[in-house]
Amino acid sequence: MKIGNVDVKVSIVAIAVFVFFTLLLLVASLSSPQVQSQLIWLIPALFMLLVIPIALNYMSRSQYADLLPHYEVEAKTVRIKLINENMVGKPVRIEGVVERVYFQFLNRPQYLVADRSGAISVKMFTSPDEDVKVNDVVEVLGQVIHRYIVTGDPVVNCVSIRKIKKS
Amino acid sequence: MENSDHLKGNSDRLLELAVPLFSFGGALVAILFQMLGISLDFHYPATGFVIASCILAYLAWIRPKKDIVALTTPIYSFIFFFLPTDSETGILLQLLYAVSLTILLVRLKYRFGKPGTAVSLGKKLGGSLKTYIEQTHDSFSGISPEAAHSAAVVFVRFSEGNYGEAAQGSGTALCEGETPDPVTPLMRAFSIIREHSTLLNKSLPRPVTYLTFSEKDSPLLARPTVPAHDDDMEFYTALDNALLMVFSAAWNNSERDRPHLLACQAFAQKLFT
Repeated sequence: MKIGNVDVKVSIVAIAVFVFFTLLLLVASLSSPQVQSQLIWLIPALFMLLVIPIALNYMSRSQYADLLPHYEVEAKTVRIKLINENMVGKPVRIEGVVERVYFQFLNRPQYLVADRSGAISVKMFTSPDEDVKVNDVVEVLGQVIHRYIVTGDPVVNCVSIRKIKKS
Repeated sequence: MENSDHLKGNSDRLLELAVPLFSFGGALVAILFQMLGISLDFHYPATGFVIASCILAYLAWIRPKKDIVALTTPIYSFIFFFLPTDSETGILLQLLYAVSLTILLVRLKYRFGKPGTAVSLGKKLGGSLKTYIEQTHDSFSGISPEAAHSAAVVFVRFSEGNYGEAAQGSGTALCEGETPDPVTPLMRAFSIIREHSTLLNKSLPRPVTYLTFSEKDSPLLARPTVPAHDDDMEFYTALDNALLMVFSAAWNNSERDRPHLLACQAFAQKLFT
């Protein structure tokens, strides 16, 4: 779904929750007159289950789109081995192969990207522009952060991940 | 120092034992009182779960790799056992909680490594880095404190990703090189770091021709040079060796910079791999 220039993606979990509660409401309203009298606020509340994830996704993706030009200019291309906790806060660009993909169904994907020097977790807090799969060669733009905000190993907070073709 | 590490290891093992001891102990006390028919406020056995959760969280905290699930167990113990609820906290919940804590402890031990040592916490040197620094101590003993300080600054700036400053610092160190032989291994290391830092600062790829160490520098190199047919490896190994060389020079000749170098130890250790 496109809102303005932003391609909004709703996670399968949000859709599943919406479908589950729609069915629940349908069954409840058919069997109970008390529920029928409450439909005036239950139906809008049901749609909010879909509207809120859409709005959040739109806001996060438009924010990331705004950040991208800044990262394109500022980020330094580094090998994964050079990323360490002293670099927290630095924008970086890495190129590597996707070895694992987690939590894609939540619209909060996490990738394990590796190059010849090592591997690093790449966390994205919104849905990516492209559908990135295991074994794809990608370019990642992002900022070095601690895994748990103030502690943990360095990971990349991804602003953009895109597939590239390497000769 | 090794004796204190040994003592710390023992106390960690005791703490690991304390987790099932306190959690199952709490459940056992509750079961015993129930069997005897004595009414006991569940807050008393629940104290065991809170203590066990706090110990587990501490054990997770002192590991270099953090386990967020183990870290948050004190919050869960408070929610389960101390927040007022409509339903009574039964023996089954207490037993399940004790089992969960034990599973989390086993998971912590096998998936999140050993508790942090002074080395991993950046309080002292260890591993290959320590060995390398000891081996090269005599080779870098004649360096002036100023040159050693420059070496420390270059290493720290490079590890921080401030490649422009690292290139500038290397250039300054090269200009200020007070040795009669201008191509000492350390000067070559500065040249290599300057080349790499300049390329990294501009996000440029590896050039066709690049600086490397000479054959006679090999006794001072931390990592053996790779076969010449792999240009990428040769290029990047030269950088690793150059960075480790300036680290050693700085460590051995500039004591005041050691705390800054210790803060970069994790990065320096990575360069050996």
